Amino acid sequence: MNIVEIENVTKTFDEHVAVDSLSLEVPEGRIYGFIGPNGSGKTTTLRMIMNIFYPDRGSVRVFGEQTYGACSDRIGYLPEERGLYRKMKIREMLRFFGGLKRKPSEIYPEVDRWLERLDLADWGNKKVETLSKGMSQKVQFIATVVSSPELIILDEPFTGLDPVNADIIKSAILELRDKGATVIFSTHDMSMAEKMCDFIFMIFKGKKVLDRTLTSIQEKYGHDTLRITGDGGSDVMQNIDGVEKINDFGRMQELRISHEADPQKIIAEIMSRIKVMSFEIARPSLHDIFIRIAGPEAKEVNHA
Amino acid sequence: MRKVLWLARREFSAAVRTKGFIIGLIIAPLMACSSGIIMVLVKDKVDIADKHLAVIDRSGVVAEKLVEVAEERNTNEIFDETTGEQIKPAYIIEIVEPDKETPDKQRLILSDRVRNGELYAYFEIGADVLHPEQGDSISRRITYHAKRAALDEIPGWIDWPINSHLRRLRMIEGGMDTAAVGEVIAWLDVRKMGLIETDSETGEIKHAEQSSKAEIILPPLAVAILLLIIILMGAAPLLQAVMEEKTQRIAEVLLASIKPFEFMAGKIIGGAGVSLTASLVYVLGGLIFLSNMGMDEYIPYHVLPWFFTYMLLAIIMFGSTYAALGAVCNDPKDAQNLTFPAMLPVMIPIFIIVPVVKEPLSDFATWMSLIPPFTPILMTLRLSTPTDIPAWQPWMGLAGVLAFSILSVWAGGRIFRIGILMQGKPPHLADLVRWAIKG
Repeated sequence: MNIVEIENVTKTFDEHVAVDSLSLEVPEGRIYGFIGPNGSGKTTTLRMIMNIFYPDRGSVRVFGEQTYGACSDRIGYLPEERGLYRKMKIREMLRFFGGLKRKPSEIYPEVDRWLERLDLADWGNKKVETLSKGMSQKVQFIATVVSSPELIILDEPFTGLDPVNADIIKSAILELRDKGATVIFSTHDMSMAEKMCDFIFMIFKGKKVLDRTLTSIQEKYGHDTLRITGDGGSDVMQNIDGVEKINDFGRMQELRISHEADPQKIIAEIMSRIKVMSFEIARPSLHDIFIRIAGPEAKEVNHA
Repeated sequence: MRKVLWLARREFSAAVRTKGFIIGLIIAPLMACSSGIIMVLVKDKVDIADKHLAVIDRSGVVAEKLVEVAEERNTNEIFDETTGEQIKPAYIIEIVEPDKETPDKQRLILSDRVRNGELYAYFEIGADVLHPEQGDSISRRITYHAKRAALDEIPGWIDWPINSHLRRLRMIEGGMDTAAVGEVIAWLDVRKMGLIETDSETGEIKHAEQSSKAEIILPPLAVAILLLIIILMGAAPLLQAVMEEKTQRIAEVLLASIKPFEFMAGKIIGGAGVSLTASLVYVLGGLIFLSNMGMDEYIPYHVLPWFFTYMLLAIIMFGSTYAALGAVCNDPKDAQNLTFPAMLPVMIPIFIIVPVVKEPLSDFATWMSLIPPFTPILMTLRLSTPTDIPAWQPWMGLAGVLAFSILSVWAGGRIFRIGILMQGKPPHLADLVRWAIKG
């Protein structure tokens, strides 16, 4: 069963088309990752699922119904910009947010459990304004999930988190998915999306450009990536037949090779020029795919 | 409804538990009373230094009397009756022989003495004041010269003794018996009294008491100011609070759980709770204070039910308007710009308190108190005056306020729903009207 069904939806703000003829289906119990450059329409799409915005055309159905008004006790929503009462104590505020969706008697133990789970147990009686950015992010996350919603919508949940806390949130999301929740989140963190998402959805300039599993996306691009760690830097890899693009990461270089080229020959050529410490023939990373679609290179193609 | 009350509960406790509320509870009435207190304090702070007055008496019959009257005043009238403390300045009269050759020069000299502070003022009594019919416009007049003559109390004080003295002299000249003169010029004041009523317990007729300005003005004034404070405490903060929830994106989180109308309703109920708490504190405090001071008769008990009814409706009426306005603000500056026009309907009744208290039954007072935004304050104000307001008027006012509150909630709810999630440039008035009508 699909939890969210978006059909041919268009949303315009003044002259600007934020989302253009978009269709999307989010199956139950899966993690769906929204990626795309800034201003491409991710948040607008999430807000339309939340019914905070209404589409100009097309339909959005959640739990099989077309609803009006954002409020649903079955959905948890973490907005892009944090919305917390700065003057309230953390435990009290989480009880308030949870109590709006479910009975206080069910929510109170959940609040304590989540505070414990996200390492915030000592902070329950402190005011929100005393929290660091990362900690308020975790508190906002608890506010979203404390009522155990069936559908969880997270707009940029990893922003402002250090790797340790990002990992805590990641495992919390996976745990929620394992308990049956459907999760939709938007992110700029490609490695997180790669690791977590059952489905990846990419939106660019309001249009859908990718919508499938990570494996099938990568398959579409094939094994066209060669990662080389050597001691010569990117200069020595110039002018090799079959290399379309060199992505210089400093210690490591990522080469995109054309479909007709033989990777073996290219490696041999490089080895003849420098000492190679390691190499890998791989499928492109999500990061690379993102850049291919939305980076300057894509713009050049678009302009050509 | 559970969600509305849940939200209202948070609003209430967030507002009531702040130091601001507790301090405001004490400070707001103090501020309102402070002008009265300051007036009372300042009233006694008059300059009690002796005032030296010169008199040029061209008639030759007034100056001596003036000195006599001033001395009598200095002995009897400038001290507090109970404490014996001096509360008014003494007037010291100096008689100056008129300079018949160069009167203007003499006036200049006296004026200079006033200017350098040696004298407070000087009088000039015309030569023909005893027989004004014989004199010209200059010779029959009495003039008073001082730095701020128009504001001085002294001419008012001297009018009566001089005139009665002159009349007495004229009558004696005319041959009237000296004993009869006193009766002829005797003056009787009209005393301002209240109405006769029967005692509700004994059934006896109670004598009318002298009516004081304080008795007429203070109870209605206190009730009106109290209602203003309560509205300012319960409804006005909604504008700021909703704006903050919107700009801090809390609204977005809340709207994932609660419908916009429930959101607004919760905030208004929370505000009403705050108002009710504050008003109970004030009203009970006032009742206990007044009955302990033995001033029960000043308490307008019959107004209390109206006070609370109008107060709650005012919170709904203004609260929904302020919440809707808060929802269309995108930053604190927008909210600041809107505050003044938004407060105007609450403030206008305060500007017209005096004419309404003076004549609570005038057409002006009646019609103004039937305009719904003004009704809560003005109708309670009129009901607190000793005048009997026709019974239909508070009910008519109530119907108006009720209808207007429903309209405010309906239109406010629609504007709130759209405004709360709208970012970017603030909407124009025309947009607000369109949102309210089209939804």
